[in-house]
Amino acid sequence: MKKKIAVVLFSVLLVTSVFAGGAQEAASSDKTTVKMFHLKVEIKDALDEYAAQYSAATPGVTVEVETLGGGADYGGALKAKAQAGDMPDIFQIEGLGGYNVWKDYIASMEGEPWVDDTDLEFVVDGTVYGFPVAIEGYGLAYNAEILAKAGIDPSTLTTRDAYEKAFKTLEAKKAELGIDAPVAMAASLAGGMWWVAAQHNLAVYWGGGLDFTDTSVIEDALKGKMDEARFTEYAKYVQLLFKYADQNILLNGSYDDQVGSFAQGKTAFLHQGNWVDPNMAQMGVTFKMGYAPHAFTNTPQTGLYLFAPSWYVVNAQSPRVEEAKAFLASMATTAEGHDYIVNKAGMIPAFKSVTLKPSGQLSQALMEANAKGGNYGVFFGMLPDGAGQNVFGPVYDLFAQNQNNLNQFISDMKAAIASLPTM
Amino acid sequence: MKQRSVVNILFLAPVVFTFIMIIIVPFSLGIYYSLTDWNGVSPIIHFVGFKNFSKLFNTPDFIHSFLITVGYTIINVILVNIVSFTLSLIVTSKVKFRNFYRAGFFVPYLIGGIVLGYIWQFIMNNILVSLGTTYGIEMLQSSFLSRPETVIWVMSVVNTWQFSGYIMLIYVAAIQSIPKSLMEAASVDGAGFVRNVFNILIPMMANAFTISLFLTLTNSFKQFDMNLTLTNGGPATRFMGVPVKASQLLAMNIFDTATANKMAEAQAKAVVLFVVLVVVSLIQVSNNKKKEVEM
Repeated sequence: MKKKIAVVLFSVLLVTSVFAGGAQEAASSDKTTVKMFHLKVEIKDALDEYAAQYSAATPGVTVEVETLGGGADYGGALKAKAQAGDMPDIFQIEGLGGYNVWKDYIASMEGEPWVDDTDLEFVVDGTVYGFPVAIEGYGLAYNAEILAKAGIDPSTLTTRDAYEKAFKTLEAKKAELGIDAPVAMAASLAGGMWWVAAQHNLAVYWGGGLDFTDTSVIEDALKGKMDEARFTEYAKYVQLLFKYADQNILLNGSYDDQVGSFAQGKTAFLHQGNWVDPNMAQMGVTFKMGYAPHAFTNTPQTGLYLFAPSWYVVNAQSPRVEEAKAFLASMATTAEGHDYIVNKAGMIPAFKSVTLKPSGQLSQALMEANAKGGNYGVFFGMLPDGAGQNVFGPVYDLFAQNQNNLNQFISDMKAAIASLPTM
Repeated sequence: MKQRSVVNILFLAPVVFTFIMIIIVPFSLGIYYSLTDWNGVSPIIHFVGFKNFSKLFNTPDFIHSFLITVGYTIINVILVNIVSFTLSLIVTSKVKFRNFYRAGFFVPYLIGGIVLGYIWQFIMNNILVSLGTTYGIEMLQSSFLSRPETVIWVMSVVNTWQFSGYIMLIYVAAIQSIPKSLMEAASVDGAGFVRNVFNILIPMMANAFTISLFLTLTNSFKQFDMNLTLTNGGPATRFMGVPVKASQLLAMNIFDTATANKMAEAQAKAVVLFVVLVVVSLIQVSNNKKKEVEM
């Protein structure tokens, strides 16, 4: 009998030890801990430091930051946390897809002090839900020295014809300029670079030449409709970029191959955003660079593409909503917060009241463009999850392999867009 | 006797408990979720019956992944077993340094699939391409991984390189367990090496073939890590009129579906993979078992 009791006790012990992971926060003190879980691994140190600084300056509140990123499965990790009942107070979403998955956990941020200070807050049906982490953006980055040597003035690059002429000149002077190809463009599934073509470049079709908040083209697409005349113009621009790209990078290159070729002066143009600034610094790049617009029509276009790539949202089911909101607000409204965003984390702030300047050349170009206005919005975040990677990605990869088949590309994209409503 | 059963339960309990918690429970939940519209987070789950399954057979990318996985498995089973059987013959012969070879052939198996994928990607995309450019060999100037028609073969070659050392060890063990007297008797009767191999060696080690075929079959069907790092599903190709990923094997198709927050659909695909794998490997094992010789 005693042994039976021992067995039962032992099993109970075993079970509880397994499930002990689920129970937490039983002991409460007067100190509140706000848990933040984010995916920008490149700002980890800066954010940890800022959280510590904030915790020290704010009695009764401690902010704990957990980082997961650099290709790790953030969505999966967040799901695991939700299942375990360990949902963080602040987490990050990357657009409407993420919002739809997590909407039960996302609190309204209406009336926060920073809302009027930004154009890039995350809004659904007129209600503010997300705090913009930063501004990111892109155009076609150019190496000013190579263009000067080839006699091309980057300020003239505002139409597709101007680009074609410039690419032809560069192609003809390849040996003289010491370049492999005019453009460093990537579109390969194999290199994991589908997003450059199927997300960032395709965003040119969604938003190029339109008002900053004009989402009409992508809204039609979400209903399955493609504007054929507009898309044909755009497709010719894609063809131009592909034709004058370094073919090995286009078809197979990784991020490092693409960015490295531009940094070493082997290509004159780079299709990447301002996030390459730290890479340029690492590789000791000294040449001057800037952004030319993705002008895909022959009506001149001068704007760059600006967007908030992700937003911090506050867990609506947490008892610490107010503390979490206060922490985010401090980033946007205090001098320490501005210093963190710009100087420590090296990001472009989404808030107009920030006067500090980032150090990277491309970030500066974007900040100037932002101040000047007339830029275009980036709306790929409105697409259903997986549309870029699983539907548009293969279409661009195939077009990169068969660059002369423009009509096939257009009809493939038409079919892909028509399939969006059922995704 | 009573005491024995208590001890038995005590010793079994941790393992049974773990087995139930990490295999039985998730497996049943998985089958349940494949019949719903769950997105991985939402607490609101609707039961949709077999809708996820019937949808699969109209999705070109899934059908394509399924077919190339079958193709990849066939290539692999043949290639790995031929190579590893040949290697096992070499390292059990009287060749010099045979122990060194044994170790050498086995080493690739110890490298993880992720690392191995990156290494071969570098070889295919960088080393071969620059060799091709330097020496003007046109065939090498674009990477084999960027051609839809060769990419499955490249993956099979890499997998063979990794896996044949392991299968070789199974064959070596089987060859060593065959009594030398049988081979000697055959030689005395005038049988040459080839005849010896086909009439004595292979029938005597049929059980090694059962296990090796089973291992290569299931491993190729479930291939994921090397697929992810070597090709990432690329390049694109056209199938049923739709651009799809040329080297996206079934496991990776499931992964890509799941990361697009379509958990229920991914789960349905996983159930299909499971059922096919069970059926195919049961047929294979029962067929092979019939050919085994009892000593």
